[in-house]
Amino acid sequence: MNDRKTAAFFRAEGTVLKRGVLAASAYLAGNAQKFGERALRLGFVAMAAPLHGLLGQNDRTLATRVANLAFRGMTEDRIAELSEEYARDILQHNILDQGVELMKRARREGHRVVLLSDNIRLIMEPLLPHLRLVDELVCNTLEFRGGEATGKLQDPVIGGHGWKPWLERYAAEHDLDLSQSVAYGAHGPDLLLLSTIGRPCAVNPDYTLRRAAREADWPVIEYRE
Amino acid sequence: MANPISIRRTYAGRHVLLTGASGFLGKVWLVMMLDLVPEIGRVYVILRKKALQPARERFEKIVASSPAFAPLHDRYGADLGRFLVERVELVDGDLAEPDLGLDPAVARQLERDVDLVIHCAGLVDFDPDIRDALTTNVDGTEHIANFVERSDHAALLHISTCYVSGTRNGEIPEQLIPDYAPDGHPFDTELERRDARASIERILADHEGDEKETELHKQALQQIRDRGLNPNNSMLLRNITRRLKRQSIKNAMIEEGQRRAYKRGWPNIYTYSKSMAESLLIARKDRIPRMSILRPAIVESSMSYPFPGWNQGFNTSGPLSYVLGTWFRHLPARNNNPFDVIPVDYVARAITIAGAALLEGCAAPVYQCGTSDINRLTVERACELTALAHRRHLRDRGSTPIERVLLSRWDAVASDPEHLLSTENISSVADGFAKLMRGLPKRWPTGLHRGAERWAKKADSVRDKLNTIDRMLTLYLPFIYENHFVFHSKALREHEIEEPEFVVDTTDIDWRVYWIGIHMPGLRKWCYPLFEGKTPEKYVPKIPFSLPQQPAQAPSGAGLRGEAR
Repeated sequence: MNDRKTAAFFRAEGTVLKRGVLAASAYLAGNAQKFGERALRLGFVAMAAPLHGLLGQNDRTLATRVANLAFRGMTEDRIAELSEEYARDILQHNILDQGVELMKRARREGHRVVLLSDNIRLIMEPLLPHLRLVDELVCNTLEFRGGEATGKLQDPVIGGHGWKPWLERYAAEHDLDLSQSVAYGAHGPDLLLLSTIGRPCAVNPDYTLRRAAREADWPVIEYRE
Repeated sequence: MANPISIRRTYAGRHVLLTGASGFLGKVWLVMMLDLVPEIGRVYVILRKKALQPARERFEKIVASSPAFAPLHDRYGADLGRFLVERVELVDGDLAEPDLGLDPAVARQLERDVDLVIHCAGLVDFDPDIRDALTTNVDGTEHIANFVERSDHAALLHISTCYVSGTRNGEIPEQLIPDYAPDGHPFDTELERRDARASIERILADHEGDEKETELHKQALQQIRDRGLNPNNSMLLRNITRRLKRQSIKNAMIEEGQRRAYKRGWPNIYTYSKSMAESLLIARKDRIPRMSILRPAIVESSMSYPFPGWNQGFNTSGPLSYVLGTWFRHLPARNNNPFDVIPVDYVARAITIAGAALLEGCAAPVYQCGTSDINRLTVERACELTALAHRRHLRDRGSTPIERVLLSRWDAVASDPEHLLSTENISSVADGFAKLMRGLPKRWPTGLHRGAERWAKKADSVRDKLNTIDRMLTLYLPFIYENHFVFHSKALREHEIEEPEFVVDTTDIDWRVYWIGIHMPGLRKWCYPLFEGKTPEKYVPKIPFSLPQQPAQAPSGAGLRGEAR
């Protein structure tokens, strides 16, 4: 009998949360200290939008990196306060009930619930009290120097192609049996994550993931309003 | 490093005389000691009679109404009166009087009993009437020093301020310099006091002259006419003349104080008078060997004791942060200038440590208590944190949609005083606009003129408000723009303290958590209402409080129950 532990990996954006990384970046950029600065920072986020759209079916790291460049020079105080505000006032109301139900089911089945998000830690951490089923949050970390953001994300950046080595390392650290673990994803870039896990599931999949799910005969869940 | 100090063992059975117990800092220290060190002997509290209210009644009112006493109310409930009578001895006194205004028998008793004097009393307004500053801060300190000299074994801890250093830049060590003046030139404190007193007499004499009387009389008449009142009403004329004279004397006294302070390099009358008080004490070092001076930086809302965010009255950052919550946006500040704020409970603990060190005989001559050397908060960071705190408040509780949507996103920024949107420039624009409105061609319809006059009045009001802000900013410029102070606070850290609740470790202050979550809500609750002419929330203990008539247990120094001379 296999006594190893199992996990349920949830890609936050699309399966648990309605809003993605661009919305969060736009919120923070649009609330920078000075008015001119707000316009400039929003410009960076606007640059990230087409990248997100064009390359987002495959790899979102570039778009995420560009979106986070908008924070360069913003103080940690401001980013932390605005992140809390965004999580409290916006993200909290954009938690998908069906996603929470999936987490409950994963818990009942004895899986360790791991939430994977493209957002930065300062945004996601204030949200955790509203997602009490999460055992571990894995998300991006913004780099700060001297109290100011450099605009860079610390490696590895979540949402790219590096899922396989990361998952193997994570499974080894936590003694996880990936073949018996579950993963839920909603977008094309989640394909590699889902294909590495024994029991993948596509949730409200976009075009790329839907096609892949059909080909690989993965279960597909469609949330209903 | 010397042996660790145990606060509880050191203070057990020791008698402390406290001045300034009605002030922000004195009150927090008193409550902290009574709450956390109940082993302390007796605390003699000197309070001045105010509006014919003796010390006992004043203290009773303070305990019954000040939120600072909440921990004691919570702990002792109906027994608080009995506990206080056992621990606290109230003494009617007046520091302005040479013998502290004490009854001779009471004075003798205190001189025998007291182990430690903590001199917290002081006038903390930046630019008060020089007479008040000299009387309270200089003469009061001298009188306390006289008392300590006469006492059998009392040590003295004098509470000063880091900013006695004046308009200097850079690292400010913990150092006592006799007859110090920031400009570096020789300064004779006694001579300065005599000179200042002579100037005061001169100003008073000038106001008694016929020429001045006539001038004030004319001004009073003009005011009466401007208000459309009867100029023949002699009583009204006399009253207004008297008021104008009082105001004129006060203004002249403030100007004289500022002139003296600025001339030798102090930014205001407060630091000038506190520095002179230090010089007086340094000159007596041989006669009062057990003496220390504690210099806190900018004392602000409590971190955790008596409860998070406790604040009282018009403090240093209050007016500044209040203004930053309005449409005023550009705070003149130099980047990277430290804004040396320290929570009041940290300073109360520092007083406790310095006092214990004096009692143990291992005290340093001077302790500075600030944050700029090891956990620096800069002016621009304080400005941004203030804006973020206003944002949080206005978004949730702004009273109008404009406040919730627009003002909350209208962030204050630290900028150069010469910024395009400086108060001076906006004020000029408002002034120009008012003139434009009042200068419309006469042939234009009356309705337009009436409307224009309304707009002109609004512009006048904006200009007046900006001028008030400008005057206030001028007072703060030495601290936020002109000078760059870094105060060393090493001496306090040299003492190892056994009880963790008394350790002063300023590195544990998370400025964002403190400023947005504790300090600003505290200011909003306890101080901003005062700026708006309102009364802050009243504190009512769950169990009504009153002091019992007699002490439950007669102490060794019994009999000092507010005996006024």
